[in-house]
Amino acid sequence: MSSTSTETKATRRDNAEVVEALGRSYAAGFVTDIETDYLPPGLSEDIVRQLSALKREPSWMTEWRLGAYRHWLTMPKPDWAKLKIDPIDYQAISYYAAPKAKPKSLAEVDPALLETYEKLGIPLHERAALAGVAVDAVFDSVSVGTTFRKQLAEAGVLFCSMSEAIREYPELVQKYLGSVVPTGDNFFAALNSAVFSDGSFVFIPKGVRCPMELSTYFRINAQNTGQFERTLIVAEEGSHVSYLEGCTAPKRDENQLHAAVVELVALEKAQIKYSTVQNWYPGDENGVGGIYNFVTKRGDCRGDDSKISWTQVETGSAITWKYPSVILRGDRSVGEFHSVALTHHFQQADTGTKMIHLGKDTKSKIVAKGISAGRSSNSYRGLVKMGKGAEGARNYTQCDSLLIGKRCGAHTFPYMEVKNPSAIVEHEATTSKISDDQMFYCRSRGIREEDAVSMIVDGFCKQVFKELPMEFAVEAKKLLEVSLEGAVG
Amino acid sequence: MNQPASLPLVASLLDAPLPASGVAWLDTVRRENRESFAAGGLPDTRVEAWKYTPLRALGQRQFASGDAAAGVRVVDPSTLALPGVDGPRLVFVNGVFRADLSALDRLPAGLTLQPLSQALEGDAQPLRFALSRHYREVGDAFARINAASAVDGVVLRVAAGTQLDVPVQLVFVGAAAEADLAWHARNVIELGEGAGLTLIEQHTANGELAHLATLVSDIEVREGARLRHVVLQGAAIGASLIRRSSLRLHARTRASLHVLELGGALVRHDIQAELTGDDARLDTRGVFMPHGRQHIDTQLAIRHQALNTVSSSNWRGVANDRARGVFRGAIVVAPGADGSDASLSNKNLLLSPGAEIDTKPELEIYADEVKAAHGATVGQLDERALFYLRSRGIALAQARALLTAAFCRAMLDDLPNEALREHLAALLIAHLPA
Repeated sequence: MSSTSTETKATRRDNAEVVEALGRSYAAGFVTDIETDYLPPGLSEDIVRQLSALKREPSWMTEWRLGAYRHWLTMPKPDWAKLKIDPIDYQAISYYAAPKAKPKSLAEVDPALLETYEKLGIPLHERAALAGVAVDAVFDSVSVGTTFRKQLAEAGVLFCSMSEAIREYPELVQKYLGSVVPTGDNFFAALNSAVFSDGSFVFIPKGVRCPMELSTYFRINAQNTGQFERTLIVAEEGSHVSYLEGCTAPKRDENQLHAAVVELVALEKAQIKYSTVQNWYPGDENGVGGIYNFVTKRGDCRGDDSKISWTQVETGSAITWKYPSVILRGDRSVGEFHSVALTHHFQQADTGTKMIHLGKDTKSKIVAKGISAGRSSNSYRGLVKMGKGAEGARNYTQCDSLLIGKRCGAHTFPYMEVKNPSAIVEHEATTSKISDDQMFYCRSRGIREEDAVSMIVDGFCKQVFKELPMEFAVEAKKLLEVSLEGAVG
Repeated sequence: MNQPASLPLVASLLDAPLPASGVAWLDTVRRENRESFAAGGLPDTRVEAWKYTPLRALGQRQFASGDAAAGVRVVDPSTLALPGVDGPRLVFVNGVFRADLSALDRLPAGLTLQPLSQALEGDAQPLRFALSRHYREVGDAFARINAASAVDGVVLRVAAGTQLDVPVQLVFVGAAAEADLAWHARNVIELGEGAGLTLIEQHTANGELAHLATLVSDIEVREGARLRHVVLQGAAIGASLIRRSSLRLHARTRASLHVLELGGALVRHDIQAELTGDDARLDTRGVFMPHGRQHIDTQLAIRHQALNTVSSSNWRGVANDRARGVFRGAIVVAPGADGSDASLSNKNLLLSPGAEIDTKPELEIYADEVKAAHGATVGQLDERALFYLRSRGIALAQARALLTAAFCRAMLDDLPNEALREHLAALLIAHLPA
């Protein structure tokens, strides 16, 4: 890592300078002017069929989508989250947008696109070799390129876009797609199942330790579109993979919809580590615009001794509705959830996790840090469930909220359902503000107020940041600073 | 969200004629609440407040309304006595006031204590505010039917500045009858400015029965007043008991609540406390011990609405056999309630593979100058503590009983009435699995 990280750091520093140059506001808010193919706005069986046809999908996939669409029509919109959501007009959204030029390899990718990712600090060139991260870049509805295909293939790792996987590895996709998040799981998962356009597919065969970090970078560019991506990661017996996800979108006055589904399957002794830095456009300081982020993420520890770990840093989106969960089916399997969620201005977040303990001696750990500033609302919502068979299972949950300002809200809604007398569940939560003592201490040492706040916030989040891969941790820290801009004083 | 009003339970409760009070506003309120009950039916488990308490089985049952023979049912007065409690007493049998069992002579100065039925015969106007409530939440079915149907209950007032040195005892007796009965009671309690009151609320059983009772209490604690409220719930093992207590605490009040939930088949208690005045303080302590097939659900909601308000809540649950214990502890700190200090803890022991505990501590914070914390655990006795006791020659079963008793008993430690405290502790221990 040491020799390679210099380059990455340099890239990040460049990126940071861009941030600074833009007055330290939302740095990723630019639009790339590129020719785009759209499906007309609206949602119907025809649109689903057209989408499937555009993607040259086999008929089983078309049927799968139609099944999900028909189910979606019967489902009520969930209203239990602590979110105020303006009604969404699902007929006004275009469900497919893709850059016109279809590259055959990275070398043929439109330079404007590459530049976009370069600006965002996501290296797609061969230069990326130095960064040591394989990237699948998803631009609006489609994957524009996946790096390091060859090296990964040598290790037996499959890493490609979902569209490609449906064509190339139909038997794997058919076996696992929808097996963790069924098409009718919830309103947004059903919608995603009907219209998802792309996403990443990862398959780590038995016993393989993925030679590099895998990463997907999601970018919404086109106007009046929604992004519906689908990610599926399967880790076979004894394998190991670390996966990173990043996202940004241009600044726009209207809200855009993002409804993703992520499914993880860990077989016996497999380990999956999934990290997200979510930085969708959060809307401006008056609450205008921003992404509506409705995401279903779930991991299934199917095999004994498997482990799935979610780490998320959520700073973007006008609305976040997201509960990355783990089903602890295998005996001795382990689930982890580390989260920092920051809301500012008029952002609303309702996020947390579910740990469903079914197997014996399963363990889960939840560390959730919420920071609310401005007039935002930030809720942790979590479920820990100990099934009858969860003999000796163990959970520890810690939720802390930090309030900055008088007009924001910080909420905690943990659910604990225990049906096994040998299981142990522990939950602790606190809410506080940055104390005057802490501020006075920093200020008296000549530290500017804003720097003091970001230092204290950084300390508050440390427990989560240390779970992130190094480059992501640096980015996350920067993001928090930028997002908290103007929160005090 | 609601099940159709054609459920046998709903139909049987609506079968009873609407009571006529002769007071126009009250009759209107009763009629409107009855209509909203009929329209809304029962909440199902999709309604958040009833997520863990399914009413499917109860909804299929039918109850006769009221007990014509309540006035003559034999109740042994000695079963009503509590150590350390020897003051005014009001007794209701199957929801009907029983003068012969009550002790209302020699009421201390400053105390008004009478059954609601009598209070309404006199000047009903002072009760208008409390009795005019409408229940609009989707989960409020039982409060609605109570507001429509309750004809008796307690009216208790302590005059401003009056410190009562004897506790007031309210006893609700369920008595075996020819049929399963439904009865409803409504309490209106008010402590004037600077008043002091210890209130003992007792639910007991006289014989085996499977009645349905609803009880709604409105408790107003005026500025600087002090309330100590102790609830001993020992309803019949087959009874369904659904209670709601609404407390309003004005400035500089001190209120404490100690609750022991032991009896009943299906028990639900909604405690809704609003700290509306600056420097108000509420302490709640409780133990719920469902066993057999009991289902005991406590829903505690505390709202901090004023400056420097304090709440501290500490609840313990022990579930055995195939029983289910449910707890929700929700704390809201409203905008502007700076200086609020809220803490809540709910610890639970799960003693048997068929038992279940569902707990949900919640925080909703809208002010930044606050301290708020909650914790909840579900687990078993500490192995090291067990080992310690066993290493000193105490048998495993006994060591378990000892530690479980200590786990629950701690909730009674700050109860000042020693005789009562020891009695309640003994009840707890008697209730533990052998």
